[in-house]
Amino acid sequence: MGFGDLKSTSGLVVLNDFLSERSYIEGFVPSQADVAVFEAISKPPSADLCHALRWYNHIKSYQDQKNSLPGVKKPLGQYGPAGVADATSASVPASKAKDEDDDDDFDLFGSDDEDDAEAAKLKEERLAAYAAKKSKKPALIAKSSILLDVKPWDDETDMSKLEECVRSIQMDGLVWGQSKFVPVGYGIKKLQIGCVVEDDKVGTDILEEKITAFEDFVQSMDVAAFNKI
Amino acid sequence: MALRELSSLEKYLGLKKPNKYSTQGDKKVPVLQSSNGPPLSGLVTIACHLVKEAKRPELLGESAESRAVVQQWLEYTVTKVNGSTREDAKAILKDLNLYLQDKVYLAGNQISLADILLYYQIHPLILDLSVQEKEQHVNVTRWFDHIQHYPSIQHHLPVIAVLRNRIYTSRHH
Repeated sequence: MGFGDLKSTSGLVVLNDFLSERSYIEGFVPSQADVAVFEAISKPPSADLCHALRWYNHIKSYQDQKNSLPGVKKPLGQYGPAGVADATSASVPASKAKDEDDDDDFDLFGSDDEDDAEAAKLKEERLAAYAAKKSKKPALIAKSSILLDVKPWDDETDMSKLEECVRSIQMDGLVWGQSKFVPVGYGIKKLQIGCVVEDDKVGTDILEEKITAFEDFVQSMDVAAFNKI
Repeated sequence: MALRELSSLEKYLGLKKPNKYSTQGDKKVPVLQSSNGPPLSGLVTIACHLVKEAKRPELLGESAESRAVVQQWLEYTVTKVNGSTREDAKAILKDLNLYLQDKVYLAGNQISLADILLYYQIHPLILDLSVQEKEQHVNVTRWFDHIQHYPSIQHHLPVIAVLRNRIYTSRHH
């Protein structure tokens, strides 16, 4: 259980969803559960998260009596919808609850809290290590090989001029490859030209736009083949 | 109907000796024959009187504003919700759903007489709703579920089950 990272929008969205059908985090009266989650949120939720905001304002009205509210504060991971883990950075309420408990001689929940805090810390360290590992890996550049069919207007179109025009298109992440003229019929030939593009930088839409811009030569353009490399 | 609500209210307020009520006219308007003074008639009038007798003035609102809002919703309960038809019910639920979107209670941050009486009056409407309709009016359902589980309010009415996991997720409110 948990809300994810309550300091981030994603966590607040989970909270908002959770509170759409509840007035309080637990049960039907304000409790320490509400205080724990309230304290984990740094600022009021934005207005589009209306359920979270409603709850926030409501719990804010209990600020003077927050210590006298019923229940025992638990780590954030014990509240919220099942299936979502708590990832709130620096679990303030958990450590706070521990401090309060330490003052008591009769400490029923102290050890539990400590375990959870340690587990959370371990988890955080692992997450950080994973993120660091991930960032070191060079990002793989996705490339595609595309075969284009460029059709001229008629048999009088100068095909070598057409090819020259197409090859004159220069873009970052675009490399022209081999080409040949393929007869279509009635003496008309079409230009079949290959190229390699980086997916992030060049799309077939941009290519088509640029090629059909030579409207003196080019009647239409099709993608004959498209392969991921 | 109104008599059972009044006796439930008495129990909630912790009034020891139950009052004697009679009804008047076709609409069965409740009348309270008090020992000293003229008889009181009407649900809201008697309810307000009971609240004062039980010395729970906070149920009528703490501040001047919330007192006004409580009065407004008491009026709404009697004039709109009481004796509403199925067509009215849709409009009422829509109104309430919008109003309760950013509120936990009808007035202010604590329970008021308006919440209690509206809960009693709206109970039959909610009872009729399908699961899907309840999810459409999630704000009303949340408020209703909250009030029906509020300690010692629900006395003569059965608890209406409210689903906590959604079946129809493609809903916008």
